[in-house]
Amino acid sequence: MSQEHAGEKNVPVIELRHVDKHYGDLHVLRDVSLSVARGEVVVIIGPSGSGKSTLCRTINRLETIDSGEILIEGEPLPQEGRELARMRSELGMVFQQFNLFAHMSVLDNVTLGPREVLGQQKEEAERYALELLGRVGVAEQAHKVPAQLSGGQQQRAAIARSLAMRPKAMLFDEPTSALDPEMINEVLDVMVELARGGMTMIVVTHEMGFARRVADRVVFMADGQIVEEGVPDAFFDHPKSQRARDFLDSIKGH
Amino acid sequence: MSSTRTLSMRDALYEAPGPRTRRRVRIGTAISAVVVLLAIAAVVRQFWVTGQLAPRYWSFFLQWTTWRFLGQGLLGTVAVALTAGAIALVLGLLLMLGRTSGVRPLAALCRVVTDFFRGVPSLLLIYFFFFVPAQLGLKLPAFWMLTLPVALAASGVLAEVFRAGVNAVPRGQVEAALSIGLNRGKTMRKIVLPQAVRYVIPSLIAQLVVVVKDTTVAYVVSYPDLMQNARVLITSYDALVSLYLVIAVIYILINYAINKASVYVANKTGVRIVR
Amino acid sequence: MGLSELLGTYGDKYLQGLLATWSMTVVSFVFVMALAVVVTVARVSPYRPLRVAGDLYVQVFRNIPGVALLIIIAYALPELRIVLDWRTCVIVTTILLGSAFGSENFMSGINTIGVGQIEAARSLGLTFTQIIRKIVVPQALRTTVLPMTNLLIAVMLTTALGSQVPLNPQELTGVVSYVNTRATGGILVFLVSALCYVGTGFVISFVGNRIDRRVRILR
Repeated sequence: MSQEHAGEKNVPVIELRHVDKHYGDLHVLRDVSLSVARGEVVVIIGPSGSGKSTLCRTINRLETIDSGEILIEGEPLPQEGRELARMRSELGMVFQQFNLFAHMSVLDNVTLGPREVLGQQKEEAERYALELLGRVGVAEQAHKVPAQLSGGQQQRAAIARSLAMRPKAMLFDEPTSALDPEMINEVLDVMVELARGGMTMIVVTHEMGFARRVADRVVFMADGQIVEEGVPDAFFDHPKSQRARDFLDSIKGH
Repeated sequence: MSSTRTLSMRDALYEAPGPRTRRRVRIGTAISAVVVLLAIAAVVRQFWVTGQLAPRYWSFFLQWTTWRFLGQGLLGTVAVALTAGAIALVLGLLLMLGRTSGVRPLAALCRVVTDFFRGVPSLLLIYFFFFVPAQLGLKLPAFWMLTLPVALAASGVLAEVFRAGVNAVPRGQVEAALSIGLNRGKTMRKIVLPQAVRYVIPSLIAQLVVVVKDTTVAYVVSYPDLMQNARVLITSYDALVSLYLVIAVIYILINYAINKASVYVANKTGVRIVR
Repeated sequence: MGLSELLGTYGDKYLQGLLATWSMTVVSFVFVMALAVVVTVARVSPYRPLRVAGDLYVQVFRNIPGVALLIIIAYALPELRIVLDWRTCVIVTTILLGSAFGSENFMSGINTIGVGQIEAARSLGLTFTQIIRKIVVPQALRTTVLPMTNLLIAVMLTTALGSQVPLNPQELTGVVSYVNTRATGGILVFLVSALCYVGTGFVISFVGNRIDRRVRILR
């Protein structure tokens, strides 16, 4: 565990202890333990079906676990009700398919959480929303509905929607996998900015360049297990496990 | 990957329950089970106190002749439904072809006819065939007095179903066909229609439900279908409630089966349902 | 018999018929919507008995022929000591049939939303009630405008079942059979009623399309 990255507080923002999960006969998460310190950027990579997406989704209980523990700032993740909703509101989540609310303008998408969950006034919520939309570069699209935006714009708006909750950490579940190639960088740039700003992040991705550039730590998963983890340069240049070497070879062709 | 994606939307509204939610759902389930059972009990009780559960209302269902007579009626229903369905299929296709022909007056005419048959109750059409040919001195057999209006009513709907199918064929298909030198007619016949028909087969099957429902007014023209034969039995056994209920269940099962067949075909051919 | 003679003799009947059809349609549709909401809530509730009952309700009333249902309500229920007047019989029949289809419309409206948006709302920390109120209901309502417009027309056409019981005043289809037993008006007798139906349907779908265009959700 790379506790050396933890800042002044040594309670990890996110911690998984011996997490197991099955889908029927499929053992999707096997004894997974992971701890993410404040300000740390952890990038999870691995072949498809390795359980990395599932892992990301268990952290705010979009997926349940069979056994083990998930702690957010030392507190166990609640199982239901208002406690769970409150905990989720403190973790931002960005999806592969953006998942913007189709019937609302981009601005309303971003202000919904602050107004409904945090009880902010309309003006206050909109002021901050416009600031965030400006920061991710879609301020001009604020009054359009999601379907009028490109994929890259939608994903940046979705990031703004999560940021509007002023989360303690952000979870990215393959945020660029559904994007056309020319839009990937505009989203990655926003994520790089966030990381530089000190945001605690868990990023599931296939973008190795991003991982090398931004990650404090790379976690390699296969068959539901964490096979190897380490700082990017060490991992990419001298992977220790055969699985990781095979995986890195298989994607080098691109 | 994730299990939630294979769930239906109504399940997706709920997340995996925690212990408190699970308890609440269990209590709610118990209460609602009691409510449903009480409702059923109230219905049974009403049958009981009005004497409708007496054996004389139900015993004749054990006789072979009852079912043979109802079976004959059912054959009548099937004959009308299939004939009307076949006519409607042809007519609906012609109406659609006319409407999409690009020939202005023909397209307009077909549109008016389609909208007319879709826009009036089938009962009105049935009364039309019941009264008007007779007034003109034409003796139409009961079978056709029933089949023709049912067919006409369905043809309007089928024309729209076919049109939806044609619209669902990707534009590129037409462009590709035209680019290899096929003319408009050939493009329609060889490229568009075969695909369009494939798209709408499930909807066509589902439409048979409407046809079966429309045939139940056969008694207006005294055609011996399932409903009409049931009415005959009602007078001979003086058992109105039991017979109508059984008949209703038979119709429901038939139409349920047709709907299931439609969904089965849609799933099997991997065709999304176009309506 | 020409049009002027027909309308001269039976014009009042037709007008009353049109009004009867309209009023039964409106009354039925209000209850259709209310009942469709109730049935849909039961079908998406987490309680299995309610779900099963709701699904069964829809299967029964989607598949039963209108005539069969009307006959049961008008002639079988009195034997069970439930007596309704004729107009109520027709309206109740229409409501039961229509609400099954209305619930199906709502269900497919809910199905178009997609799991992703629900998960996104959950991730923001919205509670179940907030998700239903802010995400599910608004989208389900806005995507069902056109199907419900078509249902309203179908409800109008279903009120033609009124011709199968002695209504007073008669509705449009009943008027036709009334006139036909007294005079030989030929096609014209039908055309007047038919145009009333088609015209009303035309207005309904015009308005429905206008509303749909304003609230439609781009996807």
